[in-house]
Formats: sequence, structure tokens, C-alpha cells
Amino acid sequence: MSARPQKAAQPEGGLRVLRGRKLRRPAIAPWMIMALVGVTAFLGLVFARTSLDNSAFELAELNRAIAEQVEINGDLNIDIASLENPARIAPLAEEMGLVIPEKTHQILVDLDRNAPQVVQASQEGTQ
Amino acid sequence: MAVVTLRSGINPQRVRLALIGIVLLLAWSVVAWRLVQVQIVMGPEVAERGLQQRLVSNPLPPQRGKIFDRNGDLLAMTVESESLFAVPGQVEEPLWVAQQFGTLLGVDPDVLYERLTSEKDFVYIKRQVDADVADELLALKVRGVYSRPEPTRAYPAGDVASHVVGFVDIDGVGQEGLEIIYENGLRGIPGSELYERDKDNIPIPQGMSNIVPAVPGVDLNTTLDLPLQYQAQQSCLAMVETAQAEACWVVVLEVETGAVLAMTGAPSFDPETRSASDGSPFSNFNVRGIYEPGSTQKLITVAAALETGAVQVGTIFPDIADVLELREGACEFDDDDIHGCYRDFDEHETMDMTVADIFVQSSNVGTINVAEVLGQDRMVEYIHAFGLGAPTGIDFGAEATGMLNFAAGCETCWASGAIGYSVAVSPLQMAAAYAAIGNDGIWTTPHIVSSTVDAQGSTEVAGIETRYVVSPETAALMRELLAGVVERGTGQNGQVDGYRVGGKTGTANKLGEDGRYMEATRASFVGMAPIDDPKVVVAVVIDGPSHEYRTGGASAAPVFAEVMEHALHRLGVTPDGLE
Repeated sequence: MSARPQKAAQPEGGLRVLRGRKLRRPAIAPWMIMALVGVTAFLGLVFARTSLDNSAFELAELNRAIAEQVEINGDLNIDIASLENPARIAPLAEEMGLVIPEKTHQILVDLDRNAPQVVQASQEGTQ
Repeated sequence: MAVVTLRSGINPQRVRLALIGIVLLLAWSVVAWRLVQVQIVMGPEVAERGLQQRLVSNPLPPQRGKIFDRNGDLLAMTVESESLFAVPGQVEEPLWVAQQFGTLLGVDPDVLYERLTSEKDFVYIKRQVDADVADELLALKVRGVYSRPEPTRAYPAGDVASHVVGFVDIDGVGQEGLEIIYENGLRGIPGSELYERDKDNIPIPQGMSNIVPAVPGVDLNTTLDLPLQYQAQQSCLAMVETAQAEACWVVVLEVETGAVLAMTGAPSFDPETRSASDGSPFSNFNVRGIYEPGSTQKLITVAAALETGAVQVGTIFPDIADVLELREGACEFDDDDIHGCYRDFDEHETMDMTVADIFVQSSNVGTINVAEVLGQDRMVEYIHAFGLGAPTGIDFGAEATGMLNFAAGCETCWASGAIGYSVAVSPLQMAAAYAAIGNDGIWTTPHIVSSTVDAQGSTEVAGIETRYVVSPETAALMRELLAGVVERGTGQNGQVDGYRVGGKTGTANKLGEDGRYMEATRASFVGMAPIDDPKVVVAVVIDGPSHEYRTGGASAAPVFAEVMEHALHRLGVTPDGLE
């Protein structure tokens, strides 16, 4: 058994300098950035998805509204055509006293003259 | 706390803890295994099953094409309506429902009650109800009564154009008229939609979706002029009433193009209810019916004789009597079994007549003399050339070909054919023949649809066939003869104020079911105006007018005049008949 050299007496308390070791802080910045990007991407994805869903709902609503308006338009077209039907108008016109004139006036225009000239008038009509 | 230790050194608490751990591990393992099984092993299959539950496929019915007149006025269009139906098992008070709904919807309550108490799972209450009415009824919230949208065909012109436009059945399939002729184009091509839905049957946004849009049917632009069509129908209706006739038919053709400006008749029918007021058939006699044309046929006989040089307009036929006996004894007995006796409509003294006189006075005997000079073969050749005995090719379908009875061995058929017996034609065939004279001898295929327009807006124009029948010179001569008929002959009731008109009357006895001619007639008038440059041909046929109106001049010519006047005004034709 051999004797070991006695350690040098260490000063008690206070600061001491450690040689050969560097102080290393943990590199959290990249992780923070990655986490931030991840969270942002996730939130963005959620937001995009929600927006798309909202848009899809709005689109569906618009399509429904268009279909309704097209339907209304079709009905209106039918109404217009029904109102323009001669079978409806003619009796109404007759009720209002609109009749085919008994006398028709036919005017021949002489293009060599400046003003129209009545060549023949008051020809008996057909009705 | 003292720790109990067995003599063997095993700690029981640790054993229990280990056991619980093992059990939990096993349980989690089972869950994990199931998870793996469901998510990975069965994953695709389960996902597919789920998708199939969410997926729904619906057919997308195409919008049926519209039908317009030449002015763009709507004649037929499809609109959405509601069909009310019931699940009989769910209806709690079928008697009350039958009475309430039956009364409001015009359905027989007894019939409705029978339906509502049937064993079926689905019965219609009424199909294609106006949406407002359906909403009103659904607001009653009657259990077991539902509605679903269903397209319905609307005809805003009513019965004015019904003989041409036709109608569809309750399922929207064409049954008559243009609706059936153009069924393939009008109906369009169905599409389909496939989408994912949630439990409330609402489409899931961003879910699977595949939509094959339906291709709408083509729109038809017709050559009809609705106001003229209406006027023609009104004139017909008035004459049917005045002359106590069975029916009246009118065709109006544009001479140069063969376009049908009006084609109507009386009685008519409502295309929406598919019913006629008198139960008369829906068929369009103008295209599908045939009749013996009588004297209107003489146009072809005389035109053929002039064209071939067999006669001239001024050629004199001497000693034309009012009776001609081609078979011995035919005129001695009033027996229809012996054919071969021909009489002029009015008695007259035997006289010399020119071809012009014969035509203007509508002499049967004189026309038979002209036909004798012409010869049967050449006459039949020209009858074919004018389009009789064959379909005109109009885009209407099921067209009558007519009948030409020139059987070998028939001694008198040529004579009958010359004056409009032994031949049967449709009003349209006769109108087209007259239009050829109006168009300087060029026969043109009549047509009703001028163009079809698809969803992209591309237009397909109907093809028209033309052919020379007689020379322009012969056509001009015939027009002068036709004018003579109206100015001083049998067709004076066909005069139109302000225009020189040409036309020919026709009166033919109707054939009875026993094959004998009856007293009843078919009176007709076919004419054109303005005669120097005809724009319009109008053909009128009155079926079975009373005795006073039995001739073409008495009943058909006035209708012709009314329709022609409106047609000329509608087309803006300058008057040419001012004195």
C-alpha cells in the first residue's frame, strides 16, 4: 500500500474558475421556430379548411338560390308568354273597342316627290 | 409502514401490481390489436363501407328544350312543379285527407281515399301541382303526406298551336306533334351527381363529389307565326260554327322557302290537359289526313297540259256540254256503281270554251277534255312531280302519302283524277303544289322547324330540298288563270282588299263508309298572293259544311281571304291590287 499525495487544500466557498469547460446553453431557438411554424401551419390548415367549408356552404347556398331564381325566371317567362298569347289579348282588345277598321286607307308614296301623296284612299275594307 | 415479505422473499404487493400491469397490458394489447385490425387490416374495407353509407347518387334530369315561334314567342317550356305523394301507412285520417286534398286539387275524393287506404308504400295524391298550391297543402303538416319536385311542360299559347307543337305525357315524353318528332333532341342527356352526405342528408363540404352535368335539350325555332296562327284558328272556328261544319283545316306556306307560317284547325285541343272540348282526335289533319281535292286538282292537270305543249291557254275546246258520259249508260241512272258520268257543278248550255274559260269556270267536262289531250301517263307524271302520292318530307312525321288510283284496267280513273277524284291528298301536299306555281315552278319541301339551338348556342338549320316542276313561263300562266278564278270565276269570295289574289276552289263529295259518294262535301280553296310575285300560299279545307256552304267558294274562300289578308299584313307585303 503506497501513500497518496495529499490534495491541495481548496478554498472554501466563493467563485472558482473551471478550466477546460465551456458553458453551453440549450439551442431552443430552432425548436421554437419549428414549433411556431408547425403551430402556424396547423392553424393555417384549420383556418383554410374552415374557410373552404364556409365557401362550400356559401356556394351551395348560392347554387340553391340560382336554381330558385332560374325557376322563378321560368315561371315568369311562362307568365309573359301567356300574357302575350293572342288568344288572351284579342278578346280583351275587342272588349276595349279595338276592332279592325271597316275602311282601310292605302297610301302610295311617290318617291320622286318630296312629300307623300295620297293616290287612293278610303277603300272599303274587308270587315 | 411495515413491508410484509414472504418467507420466499416475494413481495405480494409487487405481485399484485405486476398482475394488474399484465392485465392492463393485455387489455391495451387487445385494444391495440383491434385498432391495428380495424385501422390497418380492415382499414380499406371499413373506409369503403363508410364511404358507401355517406355517398349518394342522384340522376340529374336534363332541362327539356323550349319551342319558339318565328318571333321568339314561347310555345312550349318546362318548369318545375311539385308532386304530392303519400305513404298510406303513415296517414292517420285518410278520409279527411281524401276530402280536403281531393277538393282542393280536383281529384275525386273516393279515388284518393282508395289510394290512401291501399296496402302500397307509396301513392301519388296528384302529380305536377303548382308549387304555391303544394306549399299551402304541405303547411297543413299532415302526417304521411310529402312532396317532391317534378318538371312539368307548359304551353303558354294554349290550343293555338297545339296541332303543331303537340304535347308530352305526364313523364315528359313527347307524344304528339313536334314534341314527339324532335323527342331525341328536345329531351337532352341526363347527368348524375355523386356526393357525400351527413346524417341530415346535407352534402359534406370537401367530401367526395362527382357531378356529370345534364346536357339540356335543344331549343326549336319554328317557322310558325303565332298571331297568324291564332287568326287562322279563329277564322276556322268561325266558319265551323257558321257552316255547321265538322272541321276546318288551314295551312299557310311561305312560297319561296316552304316555311309553314301557320298550320291549324278546328276543333282544337288543350295540350296541357291533353283534352279536346268535343273529344276530337289530336291528329293534325293538315299533314296526316287525306281528302279528295276536287277542282283544286285542276291546277295540276292544266299546268301539265300547258307545260307539255298539249294545249295553249287560248286553245278552244268546242261543244263543251255540262255532262260527259264516258261509259255507256253511266248518266242514265243515278247509280254510283256505274262510274263514268261527269257533270259540271252548274248547268250550262253547250258552248266553245278556251282552256282559260275551262279553268276559271271550273268546268269538269272541259278539264276532262284537256286531260284527254294530255294523256293519262303524262298527267300522272306531273301529279307525282307536284308531290302528290308521296310524303312532302315535312319535319312532322307520320305524314300521309295520299292515294293515286290509276289502276290498270280502270277506264275512267284518268278522267276522275283530272278533276280531283280518284286521288287523295293532304292539305299540305296541295299547298306545296300551289306554292310551286307561286315560286316560278320550283317545288320546295315544307318545313316547320327553321333551326335547332343547343346549349352552346350552336345552330343547326333545317335542310330544304327544291326541284323544278314546271317552267317559270307555265307557272306565270297558271298564276294568271288562278287570278281569273278569283276575279271572275268561282272563287270571288277569296278576294283580298288591296291585293291581286289567285286561287282555286274545290268541292268534292265525301265517300261514305259503304264506298258511295254522299251529299256531304269537303269544300276547299287554295290560293296565293300577291299574284305577280306570290309570297304566301293558303290552303283551306272545310269538312262537311251545311248545304248552303257546301262549295269551296262559299265556305273555304272566305276563310282563305281572312287568313291571307292577315298573312300579307304580318309579312308586310306591299299591296299590288290598287285600282
